[in-house]
Amino acid sequence: MTDVKIDIQPDMTTEVTATERADVRSYLRQWAMPHVLCPGCAHGIVLRSFLEAVDQLQLDQDKIAMVAGIGCSSRLAGYVDFCTLHGTHGRAPAFATGLKLARPDLNVVVVTGDGDGLAIGGNHLIHAARRNIDMTVLLLNNSIYGMTGGQAAPTTPEGAIASTAPQGHIEPGFDACKLLMGAGASYVARVFAANPIEMTKVMMDGLSHPGFAFIELVSDCPEYFGRYNKIGGGPEMLNWIAVRDEGIAGPLSEKRFVEHIPVKPPAIGVKSGVLQREIRPVYAGVRAAEGQHT
Amino acid sequence: MTIQITMPGEKLIQGNEACVMGAIASGCNFYGGYPITPSSEIAEHMVRRMPKVGGVSIQMEDEISALASIIGASLAGSKAMTATSGPGFSLMQEHIGFAAMAEVPCVIVNVMRGGPSTGMPTSPSQGDVMQARWGTHGDHPAIVLAPASVGEVFDLTVKAFNLAERFRTPVILLYDEIIGHTRESVSLPESVTVIDRVTPDDALEEFWPKEADPDGVPAMSPFGDGRRFHVTGLAHDHRGFPTNDTAVAEALINRLHRKIDAHLDEVIEVEEYLLDDADVAIFAYGIVGRSAKLAVERARLNGIKAGLIRPLTLWPFPTAQVAEVARKVDTIVVAEMNLGQLVGEVERAAKGQAEVVSHLRTGGEPVTPTALEEVLAKIDGGNA
Amino acid sequence: MSDNSKGLLLAGVGGQGVILASMIIADALMRAGFDVKQSEVHGMAQRGGSVVSHIRWGKEVASPLVEKGSAEVLAAFEWAEAIRWVDYVRNEGAVVTDIKTIVPPGACNDTHAWSTAYPRFEIDLFRSRLIETRFVDATANAVQLGNVRAANSVILGSVAAFVGIDLIHWEEAIASLVPKGTEEINLAAFHAGMNAPMAQIPAPPAEPAEYLGPHLIDIQQDWCKSCDICPRVCPEHCLKLDTDGTLLVINADACTGCRLCEMLCPDFAITIRPPAAAEHHEPAISGRKM
Repeated sequence: MTDVKIDIQPDMTTEVTATERADVRSYLRQWAMPHVLCPGCAHGIVLRSFLEAVDQLQLDQDKIAMVAGIGCSSRLAGYVDFCTLHGTHGRAPAFATGLKLARPDLNVVVVTGDGDGLAIGGNHLIHAARRNIDMTVLLLNNSIYGMTGGQAAPTTPEGAIASTAPQGHIEPGFDACKLLMGAGASYVARVFAANPIEMTKVMMDGLSHPGFAFIELVSDCPEYFGRYNKIGGGPEMLNWIAVRDEGIAGPLSEKRFVEHIPVKPPAIGVKSGVLQREIRPVYAGVRAAEGQHT
Repeated sequence: MTIQITMPGEKLIQGNEACVMGAIASGCNFYGGYPITPSSEIAEHMVRRMPKVGGVSIQMEDEISALASIIGASLAGSKAMTATSGPGFSLMQEHIGFAAMAEVPCVIVNVMRGGPSTGMPTSPSQGDVMQARWGTHGDHPAIVLAPASVGEVFDLTVKAFNLAERFRTPVILLYDEIIGHTRESVSLPESVTVIDRVTPDDALEEFWPKEADPDGVPAMSPFGDGRRFHVTGLAHDHRGFPTNDTAVAEALINRLHRKIDAHLDEVIEVEEYLLDDADVAIFAYGIVGRSAKLAVERARLNGIKAGLIRPLTLWPFPTAQVAEVARKVDTIVVAEMNLGQLVGEVERAAKGQAEVVSHLRTGGEPVTPTALEEVLAKIDGGNA
Repeated sequence: MSDNSKGLLLAGVGGQGVILASMIIADALMRAGFDVKQSEVHGMAQRGGSVVSHIRWGKEVASPLVEKGSAEVLAAFEWAEAIRWVDYVRNEGAVVTDIKTIVPPGACNDTHAWSTAYPRFEIDLFRSRLIETRFVDATANAVQLGNVRAANSVILGSVAAFVGIDLIHWEEAIASLVPKGTEEINLAAFHAGMNAPMAQIPAPPAEPAEYLGPHLIDIQQDWCKSCDICPRVCPEHCLKLDTDGTLLVINADACTGCRLCEMLCPDFAITIRPPAAAEHHEPAISGRKM
């Protein structure tokens, strides 16, 4: 573990009105805390930013339904005081589809992980995106299977060590946002867990988007990914993901993180921000009197 | 509650259509499916009829998601159904277990075709009887109903919804390709009695989603109605929250079974025909039950004292009813379109009080009345 | 440094487009026939960090860096940055500044403008040195044109008057350097900036906040998992993990209320309370019991 001062600064280029900030812990099921996640796991930071977004948007707590699959990220659903459904591995978008069509007044949020959403549940994710079901999908990408003990995931970078890839992963990793853009998701964004204020902003944006909003949260797994790859614990992992944040490419933005801490495997930079936004008809199922798709 | 039927009276309809009509009569307002022979007519009728009753129909990307979607809809307060056949039913096993564990009412129709694997898509079979009971992993309760006619498809679809709502559990309607594709005239009732899930008392200050009443069935609040709670397929406590406490987990699994086992009279339905003086009884269900009935009648004309026991409820297995028959008769002939799935249950129930023989077919050929008549004649000859 | 050369400074924060704006100015000056040198300082600038760009032009320019007290004009994309860099402007020079406020994280008493640490707008702040201050509402102008990202072109338009080259050079530079497809809006923004009236500066609140002391760091110890993130991110070194894993507040007086520790705590174990609230310390959680 290197003793590096973490240099993470939230994006302050847009003001956050935070004079009347609620204690986001009031959105938690207090009796269930502390949560089950390992020390330093950035998933908790993501959850906090999400609750800030819910608070800033003043969403009706009774009308939020959080649907999760299986895995570390999906465990988050158990700790929030909404209607929460902890379903089966990878199927959260399918449960959420039924829920949303049956109760269009619900604000449906799917929380999933990279293994849950891209491996076993990839099919459900792309079809929910294609149909443009009005839901917000938070995909927490920690590059590994955490809950089951650090096995290689579809997002594990080539060369990274995992418990099922002791010599280094021999498969290429998955770009979740590209997949979802291809599937026709009407909103696609990527944010880094090291940037809590930007996470909140993007989640507010995604929650407000009419239609299917996909947000990849680049999170981490200090316990397995960090340990196996000798990156370090929670603080070092946060830095590792922070240096990968390239922002949206283009001459209008400068490179965000220039302090590059040598890491193994090499931190592959990815673009963050809103990558796709499109307004198209929201799927409501075959329900109208004339039996038309609306 | 009773629901009026919009077009009662005599009608010539197909089995799969009767299923849709029964569902709508029961208040079904959500259908999620995936096309598969020989059940696809259900999806095709649903997509036309659901909008007319203010419901929603969706064709999902596979059977896994089809069942997931109706579980989601049911949690939101809908009465929801899906339909499939063998290969799709295999994919649904995961969520049958989830619905049982999380106690989500839903109806799953399996129009059985020849298996294993892709098997014989257009041929009948009763090969999924054990899968309907034991297909998903772990100990779980199962209610499986088996209609033998188009009219019974209607009636048992209504019953399936009622039982699902009554006990907060998935209910499987199991019939074969022949019944699904048979058209016969059905006399639709003026109205049907419909049971709705119990919802929590509004005056209740503290609501826990898995706190069961003495009946063993917890009240169910739809998502979005002001009560916020957790639903999980993990073993959980009365709060619906995951637990690793073995005592709590055991109590939960036991309650899931007890809530149904304590109310078998509401669940089990058996047709008994000419059994009072019978020496030999045929045990048959579904389409085979109809062949068996004709075989029994023909045997009676030949002086053979034959009777029929035909369970409309396959699971929970009507053990007491079969035991009673075993006390009366010398022989029970178990006729199935599989290589012997319920025969073992019959033997277990008979406890040696009657000889149990089986007549089994596989490969897509139905069990004919003539074949069963021959079996009865042979048994009678052997005894004489 | 040759006598006939002139200097200009652009200052803003990461993400505002300072570098692109300075490239456009340099390009326009070259098109006008000058020798131009440009250099930027954003080595340690993450998002929200300070970014400054120096431009010098003339018949022949040796070094790109502007000397203090010599710049014709400072183009500030943010008010605090204007104050930070005004020393570089010559007497009787000019400051063109956006009325945008971006509060740097970790260096303020609260994450909104008008906190004690954020400087108030003052029209005659630099009058002692006869420096003209020109306020521009670049963001509003850009939003009006349909793209907030064109704000930097508005600033350029307002700066143009102090540079003194023909309009055509500006237009060509903008057209060649802005992202494809945004040429029109950036040109419109530039013209808007040229003609922009003096922006009305935002009024400070009736009673400016007084410094009430440090924020209170409220730690819920039974939720803390000793992951060591908060001590490592705190800019003021207020926190420390004890050898037994207990999280300690070791420098309570230094807390500026930046909330980095709170926001980056995966376990909801830290709550930062403003000084006023810290006094009557309410129970940490008012959550609904299910």
